Amino acid sequence: MKTRLYVLLFIVAWPSYAQLSDFDHINFRKADSTAMACKDEGLYNLPQLTQKLTSHLDTDVERFRAIYLWVCTNIANDYSLYLKNKRKRYKFKNDSLKLSAWNDRFKKVIFRKLLKQKRTICTGYAYIVQELAKLANLDCEIVHGFGRTSMTDIERLNAPNHSWNAIQLNGKWYLCDPTWASGIPNPETNVFKFQYNDGMFLTNPQLFAVNHFPLDLKWTLLEGEQPSFEDFLAAPVIYGKAYTNLTEHVTPKKMHHIIQKNDTVLFKYQLHQDVDPDKIRFLIDNGYNNKKIKPTSTLIDEKSLTLEHLFDTTGFYDVHLYIGDDLISTYTVKVKS
Amino acid sequence: MKTLKMKRITQALGLMGIVMMAALITNPVYAQTQAAVTASVVDQQLTVKGKVSDDKGPLLGVNIVLKGGKVGTVTDQNGAFTFPRALNPGDTLIFSFLGYEKQEIKIDAETTFINLILSSDLVEIMGAVSTDKPYKSKRSKN
Repeated sequence: MKTRLYVLLFIVAWPSYAQLSDFDHINFRKADSTAMACKDEGLYNLPQLTQKLTSHLDTDVERFRAIYLWVCTNIANDYSLYLKNKRKRYKFKNDSLKLSAWNDRFKKVIFRKLLKQKRTICTGYAYIVQELAKLANLDCEIVHGFGRTSMTDIERLNAPNHSWNAIQLNGKWYLCDPTWASGIPNPETNVFKFQYNDGMFLTNPQLFAVNHFPLDLKWTLLEGEQPSFEDFLAAPVIYGKAYTNLTEHVTPKKMHHIIQKNDTVLFKYQLHQDVDPDKIRFLIDNGYNNKKIKPTSTLIDEKSLTLEHLFDTTGFYDVHLYIGDDLISTYTVKVKS
Repeated sequence: MKTLKMKRITQALGLMGIVMMAALITNPVYAQTQAAVTASVVDQQLTVKGKVSDDKGPLLGVNIVLKGGKVGTVTDQNGAFTFPRALNPGDTLIFSFLGYEKQEIKIDAETTFINLILSSDLVEIMGAVSTDKPYKSKRSKN
């Protein structure tokens, strides 16, 4: 009896975060096809658009799904606009009057572009998701904060650079990132390409926190101790494909590692679904050349992935984790003799 | 021959006229019966017009919808609108426009013209772009 009680306590105390798996019983096919059917709709009549997207759907999560997917697959990310804004915000970062004047002017440009060309940058995505959700009587918030990618100058990340959404469904808050879910610019040409990433929809807050840091910490949706900004800056770089493959990035918590020769580094993740262990590879780059190799040990047990890798040669390495062709995360390892 | 055709046209027009008149006449009758059924003093149907602007001037394309309904309209280049359906006191109109704060206006018995100024949404514009370019450490060249 007593042990049972303890087991129960353990289950209750274990934080189970609000995420997509809460809605495993719901098939999003209808919501998704509703969003696809509205492909040619413009933003000129938002109430009508909301009506078209949501009126035939039965649950709030499906209604939100249709809105979110429509935004992700119809609004393009304007890279030049992003660069322009980034430059100005950096320039005015210590002059709040100039920054606010720039923001006022730029806001007009943003909303005109959004309306006429359906192009924007991330505040525009978060804003339109919120507007449509509000019109569908859903409680949705824009969350401002820091987003980290392999291209953000992570050591100099000193001004907020990203916006995403929190949505309340059945009394619980969930996270999503419509900007990063919509697609990526071509690395060479910077031309935006739609490439919907489903992993950013109602994501596990623990994974989300690896590269999203909200200005208001309540939006981490994490229970207990909140992450510090230093922890966030020191975290590994994870990529869009981390969201499609993982539900949690458990360890290492840090990007940079200094170890002795013949030391082993431990890596742990939770997977969306079990994968073939042969597909797990590290791409190890020493600055001159790189090779894709199998980790020293790979263990997959009920969606839990544990890797160990032994570094037997001194040097400084960029270590990229791949599952199949998907780039998941990057760490650096300095191996001393 | 020609006159016969003309006659037919006038006949048809006349018939259409009668139908339209009938539609117009039956409308208020319907409103009265409804008022009688609900036994309420609220039997006044209001045609609502208005103008929407911001601090710079009239706004074109503001969406106006009846809360809880599907009826709606948009403002013209002068910011002006006429709501397409007669409204009852107690109805709420929702005004929304990209980049501006949404506003709800409740209609009362005196509402005939709404002069509304929308204030722009307070949003900080920023954006980080997703990428799948692998991270590359900066290395000193030696």
